[in-house]
Amino acid sequence: MAESEEEVDVLVQRVVKDITNAFKRNPNIDEIGLIPCPEARYNRSPIVLVENKLGVESWCVKFLLPYVHNKLLLYRQRKQWLDREVLVDITCTLLLLNPDFTTAWNVRKELLQCGVLNPEKDLYLGKLALTKYPKSPETWIHRRWVLQMLQKECSPAGSGQKEQQGQVEPQGEAERSWHTERLQRVLQEEMRVCADAAGRYPSNYNAWSHRIWVLQHMAKGNLKILHDELSSTRLWVSMHVSDHSGFHYRQFLLKSLLGELGQSWERLQSGALNLSPLPLADALQVHRSNGDGTAGAADDHASAVPQLFHEEMELCTDLIESYPGHETLWCHRRHVFYLWHHWRKNSQGTGPQSPVLTHTAALLSEASDPHNEGRSSQAMDVDCVPDSSKHGGYTQNTKRLKRGPVPPCPGLPSEHLFVSRILSSCRSPEQGRFANAYRKWLDSVIGQ
Amino acid sequence: GTQIKDVVIKPDAPNTLLLDKHADYIAAYGSKKDDYEYTLSEYLRMSGIYWGLTVMDLMGQLHRMNREEIIDFIKSCQHDCGGFSASIGHDPHLLYTLSAVQILTLYDNVKAIDVDKVVDYVRGLQQEDGSFAGDKWGEIDTRFSFCAVATLALLGRLDAVDVDKAVEFVLSCMNFDGGFGCRPGSESHAGQIYCCTGFLSVTGQLHQVNADLLGWWLCERQLPSGGLNGRPEKLPDVCYSWWVLAALKIIGRIHWIDKAKLRTFILSCQDEETGGFADRPGDMVDPFHTLFGVAGLSLLGDEQIKPVNPVFCMPEDVLQRIGLQPDLLKTVEQTQLISQYLHLESVIYSV
Ligand SMILES: [Zn+2]
Repeated sequence: MAESEEEVDVLVQRVVKDITNAFKRNPNIDEIGLIPCPEARYNRSPIVLVENKLGVESWCVKFLLPYVHNKLLLYRQRKQWLDREVLVDITCTLLLLNPDFTTAWNVRKELLQCGVLNPEKDLYLGKLALTKYPKSPETWIHRRWVLQMLQKECSPAGSGQKEQQGQVEPQGEAERSWHTERLQRVLQEEMRVCADAAGRYPSNYNAWSHRIWVLQHMAKGNLKILHDELSSTRLWVSMHVSDHSGFHYRQFLLKSLLGELGQSWERLQSGALNLSPLPLADALQVHRSNGDGTAGAADDHASAVPQLFHEEMELCTDLIESYPGHETLWCHRRHVFYLWHHWRKNSQGTGPQSPVLTHTAALLSEASDPHNEGRSSQAMDVDCVPDSSKHGGYTQNTKRLKRGPVPPCPGLPSEHLFVSRILSSCRSPEQGRFANAYRKWLDSVIGQ
Repeated sequence: GTQIKDVVIKPDAPNTLLLDKHADYIAAYGSKKDDYEYTLSEYLRMSGIYWGLTVMDLMGQLHRMNREEIIDFIKSCQHDCGGFSASIGHDPHLLYTLSAVQILTLYDNVKAIDVDKVVDYVRGLQQEDGSFAGDKWGEIDTRFSFCAVATLALLGRLDAVDVDKAVEFVLSCMNFDGGFGCRPGSESHAGQIYCCTGFLSVTGQLHQVNADLLGWWLCERQLPSGGLNGRPEKLPDVCYSWWVLAALKIIGRIHWIDKAKLRTFILSCQDEETGGFADRPGDMVDPFHTLFGVAGLSLLGDEQIKPVNPVFCMPEDVLQRIGLQPDLLKTVEQTQLISQYLHLESVIYSV
């Protein structure tokens, strides 16, 4: 197919139009893809719309991409003028084919700044690009910029020009709540985009670190969202036990919750409220009834942290036993135990002294030598650790204990016992290697 | 059990270094540009040129590249703001500014560009918290912190920015495992660890690294095939092998991995027909993995290749010429613990 320059010109313009029209025809397109097709079929557009999927036949890409690419670069060098509408269309085509073309995203940033593009529409293009290129760093980077712009637009300072004129407007309240709702919608959509990209590519660093960024910038200090994220990713990580990035996200959530819970604890302590600690059983009751995580009472905080860690370690134990030989799960255990260990160390004396902690601390001092397994297992029998010869005993035991008042929080002895139990029953060499490495890590990093 | 994520090196995989093939591959790379392929990767052209030239220099073949053409190209990529773009008509960015300065340093010709403007550009990207934006649009990443200080160090102008603040930011990205991520709270990643240890080397702050802990994490990247991955349960890759290895070298722990096995892995990623290295055995080669394959072999002590500097990924003789010697931590013998751990590993791998 030796097309002349003119023919390519006509072809490409038609294809760009077809793509634009496809979006007009179906605003719910949710995925893009390349259709392997080496030859053009006579009189048929290479743009195919099937249900909500937009396909581009592969034969046309080798004409299409260089053409729109060069056109945009000519514009960038001020060698060719392009209308804003044309810019919107060609950057769309370009970025669906090559989403790491930074300069094309930058052109769209300028279009956003002058109001030609609307932020949600632009985020939608990125979302589509991510269905085919879920890692694309430049797409994620651009999204962060758009989200920040949106946030500025919706912040009181951004919309406050009228207020500066001293007018008290009746719509002020309505406008504020409209902004809040808009940001909430965007935030939720962003979480969906991250989850989708995480599902399309394992251990997707860019997707998960973006999700962390979103929490840090759009949900700062929001306990409810942190809790929601923790529960909504629980099933996902259980089904993706090799996804180190997904597990890291949970580590991040736990750490953030620790910080937030600690802060609200301090606020409560320093405030006029001076509640006397409830017995632990009652405190746990409060925690359960406030299961949505909007913890309001001091004692709730006291128990919430051990409860969080108990649940995460239990999840980790279950997964390690069900899916032997996954390094990710063992890394997760290290991090969660590390966080717990340090929280406990720091909170003793200053933070909330829950009976759980006192109990665990007493237990720890009883079994201070982690290498003495006989002694520590004896000590731990008092608390929660089962007969290690019975397979699955731990789980049953902890389940029983969960109904009881004291969550069995891990300590060095129980972790050593866990390793021994895994080693004595495992037939996977990888599992054995990871268990041994974990033991050495406990000895050298925690045991120091 | 689950199959460990790794590759199997076939018995007939290449096991000697095919330097001539690689030089031919890189020398011919630019000439056979197909329109489509060219446009797809034009957004990183400047870095592509840096990869190609550096690997040629490491192999003693830099003279085969077209010096004048390349310098003209670089000059035409400097923008009014002082920064460089990946190619003509693209927008400037720190990533390509570093690549441009690296290329000009290889050619001993930084005077070809307006150095003061480059320094202004880099300085202008530093934020209040010490971090660096990649370009005027404001994305923050520890990679850009590295690009900033590496660019300035090559130009002898590190004093142009607030180094203390910059260090503070990078250290705020350190994780419990001793590694670093792209921003505070982000997951440790071998590429980011390379950038952050490189950054701390350039700024003389390596003592702030927990070298044993980080060394441990980096050692755990080695898989039974000998190759290194960038994060747990990812496949081994020649480029990650470089980043992990360079970071280990920077923190004085390179002898903590099995060097012979890593060499076997890297060699097996060569393409005997076309020349060049791929990410993994049998995949398509590219200049990026070719540089990191050759640079990795150099760090492992291959004497057919010039010694490479682990921080700048440039030939040591080039850095000596400009009098730049970034810090490396002193080599530390294996602690009892690590050697036990490694011993354990080799026992299990040999099963
Ligand atoms: Zn690679």
